[in-house]
Amino acid sequence: MTAYSGEYLISQKVSFVEARGNIVRDCPGTRNHICCGYKTIDLVEGCVLSCSYCILKSYINSPDIKITRDYDYIFSQLDEVIDHEKTHVLRFGTGELSDSLALDRRFDLNRPLVTFFGEKKKALLELKSKWAYVDHLREYLNPYTIISFSVAPQNIIDREEKRTSPLYKRLKAAKRAQDAGCFVGLHFDPIIIYPGFEKDYEYLIHDIGRILDLERIIWISLGLLRFPPRLFDEFMEKGRKNLLFGEFIRGEDGKYRYIKSERIRVYSMLYTQLKSKSRDLFVYFCMERSDVWKSVTGISLDDNESLVRLFDTRIHDLYGGIL
Amino acid sequence: MKTLSIDQINRHDKRFCISYPLDDTALSASIQKVGIIQPVILLDTFPFLAVTGFKRLEIAHHLGLKEIPYITIDITEQKALLFAIHDNIQRGLNLVEKAHAIERMLHIGFSSAEISDTLNILGMNHHEKVLKTLIALASAEDFLKHFTVSHNLSLKNVGYLLRFEVNERTSIIQLLSSIHITESTVREILEILTLLKLKHGTLPLEDLRPAGIQDLLGRLKVMAYPVRTSLHEELQNLRKASGLPPNIDIKVDPFFEKEYIDIGIRAKNQEDIYQALEKLHRLTDDGILGRILDLTKGKLR
Repeated sequence: MTAYSGEYLISQKVSFVEARGNIVRDCPGTRNHICCGYKTIDLVEGCVLSCSYCILKSYINSPDIKITRDYDYIFSQLDEVIDHEKTHVLRFGTGELSDSLALDRRFDLNRPLVTFFGEKKKALLELKSKWAYVDHLREYLNPYTIISFSVAPQNIIDREEKRTSPLYKRLKAAKRAQDAGCFVGLHFDPIIIYPGFEKDYEYLIHDIGRILDLERIIWISLGLLRFPPRLFDEFMEKGRKNLLFGEFIRGEDGKYRYIKSERIRVYSMLYTQLKSKSRDLFVYFCMERSDVWKSVTGISLDDNESLVRLFDTRIHDLYGGIL
Repeated sequence: MKTLSIDQINRHDKRFCISYPLDDTALSASIQKVGIIQPVILLDTFPFLAVTGFKRLEIAHHLGLKEIPYITIDITEQKALLFAIHDNIQRGLNLVEKAHAIERMLHIGFSSAEISDTLNILGMNHHEKVLKTLIALASAEDFLKHFTVSHNLSLKNVGYLLRFEVNERTSIIQLLSSIHITESTVREILEILTLLKLKHGTLPLEDLRPAGIQDLLGRLKVMAYPVRTSLHEELQNLRKASGLPPNIDIKVDPFFEKEYIDIGIRAKNQEDIYQALEKLHRLTDDGILGRILDLTKGKLR
């Protein structure tokens, strides 16, 4: 089967597979970096958007898309994980091995999950995407679903995220989700260092402040570009100038990432700009070291648990007693 | 053994020739001494086409020999090429010869399965990237082929070199040929040069007159990794300023990524420990250790 999603024909083969093993899993995290305790639901494996930096290229062997629709199987796993958790409000996402919304209008994948979380009322489902189409879900949305978009300057979208929705459409879709009663999330991930990136990101943050209701942004993640060695070779081979412009080191987990002083500089710049829009914005880093957290935010995080507690507080502040 | 005049062989048609380089000093000396022992194999056409024995033919021609021992065979072009490849395989092919073999197979129209089989026999994977690099190497300039064989380059390093323009490649090879260098260092240098070309659009080769391999690597690293090299320089300065005795070792993550440093003390007795601790105490008071710790946060003063 080939999939038709919006404006173009997707040449990747889409197949439906039987659910096996753990569909609901812990985000793998990475050694010696603070992880937010996210849970993933592997509903779809593979992505049609094909961003140049996509880490899935090195994780998934096949270019094809595999979809699991055994919802009873998935719900039973979700029930078990949610009911077992007594301390924290769990956050789940379907955007780990795919884009949450890119195939959703055609295959109606998220609606059962949105309904499940709306009825469960004990955890949050985050739909994370670069595909700005949520209207088909609008009538099912409830406060337990977070609509999230990855954001990047249009310059980067044009060059590195060619099949995705433009920035203004993502922000407008996020606003429509806010208007429908949802909180939204924003993910500056990957943040890419290229000539003139500082100004582009400043404009991006300005656009966010202009278009979105900042009080209904539940969280904003910042994650500078990082990738496994196999992608480094691919970037070199394909002459990915933007992606290789900064200065990289090999981290303890073997992945390439910008050298720490650059990470601190860029995060500090973005953090300050975001906080200048609203002191109350909840900004966190995806897979960063505790000393980077401390340098940029002044917050001391000893372990993953301390970040999870920050999320609990944030959710409690926004949801009060309903979660 | 039958012989025939070299003039009856079309020496310029090298469709079955995979050998590289054709000049072979040892073989030449041997032929001069005892003549050609093993006959060349010729395709039974007019004029005859060589299937094997290109080196012998070339040397015989240079030595001015008039006749050469031969055997003729009457087989298809495809079989003749396989004959040529397998005749040479036993001695172990270099990368250029492997590239020639595959390029000739593609040219003659072998199927993908047959090429895959041969790649396996040659110890290579049937992968698009591998094929692309081999084909490009087969038709590359002699300068690159010679460097590949003389330095026993890996396919990966050849791939790096092929990404550069011919004139850039020539300059790089000239630069690398001027110093004693290992395969892994070639890779490190080519990786840095690829990065620099990507970032700046040009190669900074004109100003490089390296005194040796470490000098070359050092200068390239300053250009490609300016922050890291500054941090390393500062660390070196601080190490010097600290005057550490040999029994105290301060280890800092080479990428300045880990947020801690490791301090090791080698002690034979309690006195050694007291003295080491006293020294570390002084370095802490003087702010030297603090400054080293700052480097792990990317801070330069």
